[in-house]
Amino acid sequence: MATLFETAKAVALGLSLTALSAPAVHAEQLKLGVLLPLSGSASLAGTSIREGIEFAIKTANEKGGAFGEPVKVFIEDDEGNPTKGVTAVRKLVEQDGVVAISGTYVSAVAAAETKVAREYKVPMVSAGSTSSAVTDANTAGDPWFFRAFPGSVAQGRQTAEDTLNRLKAKKTVVLFENSIYGKSLADQFKKDYEAAGGKILSMESYNPGEKDFYSTLTNVRAQAPDAVYIAGLMDSGAQIIKQSGELGIKIQIVGSGSMMSDKLIELAGPASEGFAVSSMFEPSTPNKHGAEFAKAFRAAYGKDADVYSALGYDSMSTLIEAARRAGKPDGAAIRQQLMKLGDFPLVQGPDGTTAKFDEKGGVAFTIGLAIVRNGKRVWMPFD
Amino acid sequence: MALLPQFLANGVVIGSSYVLVALGLTLIFGILKIVNFAHGEFYVLGGYLAVLGSQLLGFPPLPALVLVIVCMAAFGWGVERFIFLPIGKHDPTNVIIASFGLSILLQNVFLKVAGPEPMIAKSGLPAGAIRLGSVFLTSERIAIVAAAAVTVTVLLVVLRFTWVGLSLRALSENATVARISGINVRRVAVVTFMIGSSLAGLSGALMSSVFMVQPGGGVLVVMKAFIVVVMAGMGSIEGAIVAGLGLGVVEALVTGYLGSEMRDIIGFLIVIAVLAVRPQGLFGLKTERS
Amino acid sequence: MRTNLSLLLLLAILMALVPSVLQGGYFVNVAIVVCIYVVLAASLDLVMGWTGMYSFAHAAFLGVGAYTAAILGRDLGTSFWINLPAGTLVAGLFGLLLGLPSLRAQGHFLAIMTIAFQTVVYLILAQWTDFTGGQYGISIDPIEGFGSLSAYFYLVLGVTVVALIVIRLLTGSRFGDALRAVRDDETLARTIGMNTNAIKLIAFAISSSLAGAAGVLSAYHIRGVTPDDYTVMTSASIVTMVVLGGRGRFWGPILGAALLVLLPELLSGLADYKHIFFGALLIAVIIVAPQGLAGTLAQRRAK
Repeated sequence: MATLFETAKAVALGLSLTALSAPAVHAEQLKLGVLLPLSGSASLAGTSIREGIEFAIKTANEKGGAFGEPVKVFIEDDEGNPTKGVTAVRKLVEQDGVVAISGTYVSAVAAAETKVAREYKVPMVSAGSTSSAVTDANTAGDPWFFRAFPGSVAQGRQTAEDTLNRLKAKKTVVLFENSIYGKSLADQFKKDYEAAGGKILSMESYNPGEKDFYSTLTNVRAQAPDAVYIAGLMDSGAQIIKQSGELGIKIQIVGSGSMMSDKLIELAGPASEGFAVSSMFEPSTPNKHGAEFAKAFRAAYGKDADVYSALGYDSMSTLIEAARRAGKPDGAAIRQQLMKLGDFPLVQGPDGTTAKFDEKGGVAFTIGLAIVRNGKRVWMPFD
Repeated sequence: MALLPQFLANGVVIGSSYVLVALGLTLIFGILKIVNFAHGEFYVLGGYLAVLGSQLLGFPPLPALVLVIVCMAAFGWGVERFIFLPIGKHDPTNVIIASFGLSILLQNVFLKVAGPEPMIAKSGLPAGAIRLGSVFLTSERIAIVAAAAVTVTVLLVVLRFTWVGLSLRALSENATVARISGINVRRVAVVTFMIGSSLAGLSGALMSSVFMVQPGGGVLVVMKAFIVVVMAGMGSIEGAIVAGLGLGVVEALVTGYLGSEMRDIIGFLIVIAVLAVRPQGLFGLKTERS
Repeated sequence: MRTNLSLLLLLAILMALVPSVLQGGYFVNVAIVVCIYVVLAASLDLVMGWTGMYSFAHAAFLGVGAYTAAILGRDLGTSFWINLPAGTLVAGLFGLLLGLPSLRAQGHFLAIMTIAFQTVVYLILAQWTDFTGGQYGISIDPIEGFGSLSAYFYLVLGVTVVALIVIRLLTGSRFGDALRAVRDDETLARTIGMNTNAIKLIAFAISSSLAGAAGVLSAYHIRGVTPDDYTVMTSASIVTMVVLGGRGRFWGPILGAALLVLLPELLSGLADYKHIFFGALLIAVIIVAPQGLAGTLAQRRAK
């Protein structure tokens, strides 16, 4: 115990010394933190997001890093747990000396983490957390938590409009994962779908990791909807699509953004034909900046980028760009620059999408809809 | 009421999968009294081995299952020999903690080796829906019910007519008497653990073509298996059949008529109620602990 | 007993130096989590180590305490000083609720019953959205006067010391003897006229109410509650702390909790391999020190 505290003390002293002996005149290294669930059930997304983030760092460092030195990144696994997340923020800031953080994926954890990060004046850019509640908690005009893609409000609204207008479905059953992600999307979808004149026949939740949907789908078939909207993750989505095929259900299925994945098509098999998914990024994107990213990513990893790697890339590259513009590794200065990043291109969204954060820290762009045809997603053009 | 046949069919299929998983556990937990929290990860490992056999090595279904059984038996031997034997059975809590550690270890090894993305095994059975009246099923789902029936029968025959079975039953009734009458308790324990481990892997392999294999997929499975075994009464195979099918059907009906969010709450409330009324389980013999 | 208590106070004073010596919120933060888990493990030990009953439901009581504080704060605007005793009390009542059916079950059956109870509580926290906030949870404001992390740490440390003294006094008293009698031979205890059911119920209630207090502390620490902090995995971790540290010994659960909270922090350098290492270490420690670390140390000293 004693030795532990002594080493800890030495580390702490060392840290305060480096802080003292590093005046702003010297070229300083930019240290950034990453918080993601890398073990546990959410690691499916976390691992993919990390690839995008690492690719952003690699790209930035090939272009000279920041302040004349390579950007240094510290990655912590928050396990999708708020207690771990809060500890990890303090560790990143105090032990590793990061000035800004890209993270995290689980919305409830992101909400807990940003409360602490804010005390240190460390801005965070979401790495996948979708719930609009986290950015809505920002004081207008004074955001500390940013999200470089539209949140659950815009995603739910867009999917509601697409389901009604593009897919011509007037009656829909909603299945949602019992998580903030699933529930926030499902509630928003219901609100906007009904407001636009659609009819929600029923809303049913399922637990994360659920595998058998036969009984739920039996009820869905009995209600004879025009469409089923699934707000949840890729693994359960694949099961629902596969099993509705087995049950002979021929109803349009619409999925939330996290189901934009080639793996889903592979797992669900032929039943995925005609499946529509809300999509913020496709490797075949008309977005020029996004297409370059997709090509480079493919060359580096030997596989296509997906929505997770794209949003991870955007999250980290906005942070690095803001730091470059700030000219010094300082959280408050980076935050000031994040709020003025309206000219910086994002790889997600239609061509010309930029990191134009609004006063609550969110970004708005048109979300696309992709439909599986002959085993491949086809992105429907933006209106 | 029109949907009832489909709900019942769903319940029987899921219930059969519970029976399959619970069979291995009822040997290991019910007879050897080893609380193996890692049983769910044994199930997942069986699933990964099936994916390995059927997808990567291109084995036909039956040889792939043989591969799973052989590998899982060897794995079970290793776990028994190097983890549970040194701990001994004197202290059940230590066994729980060690198996909890094994469960964390295996889950993260799966994550590291196979990655977080789900996988699915090819069963080789014809795909597509089979319609029986108003009930839809697939050949893979029917195969699960059949596999459960075959496995139960084989297990009952083995327990009834072979030395392992006889010794096992003697062991479960009274270990001391069994030892005195010349049964090699040690050897029986090893063989039983290997059979239990193979059964866990077999059920994981069979389910891997219907559901997907994921690193954390064993957590819920082991919960359900423990519930079935305890409700059935420790070591009772007949009980495991009734409890497994019963749980599956109740879950399907609750999901169908009340919604899936009520399913697990009601399932677990039934467990508390059953144990409060019959602490020894449905088919268990009442024994006073000394 | 006196040495134990003086040692405890000495340790508490040493802990109290953490914020001033180890400048920085990270260490204070870790120290807070250690304290919360020390209360949890030590209170679970009342049931597991001293009374010999399994319980995989401790995180449920942690959650009940935390949610009581959050819901009271949200609906009635009560302060921490009312929420702490309220969370303790409500968790104790839930303990009685689980204790009643548990009187009939023993051993593995009790373990399964507590797992079922734990899961039901979790599902209610996660799904009764109108009351518990569902997956969004409920946000909590910092305590007035304890806004800074180190001030809050002193508060947590104070509650921890009080809880440990209560546990120490209880187990050292005639009630502690009664618990041991139930653990060692329940039939005999009943024969000599002890009301074993009442003793078990009281143990359950005290143990769960202390877990509830820890829940209130953790809720104010994270400044909110979400259901995923109160799962059966958390319960299993607390059981692990008790067993690894050493059951039925004052220092056992304290040691186990400190170790299992600090270990992942120290292992974070192993990155992706930390859980694999952690699992292997658990198995190894159980094989090498079957009576827990405190038990093995005591045995070695006796030799």
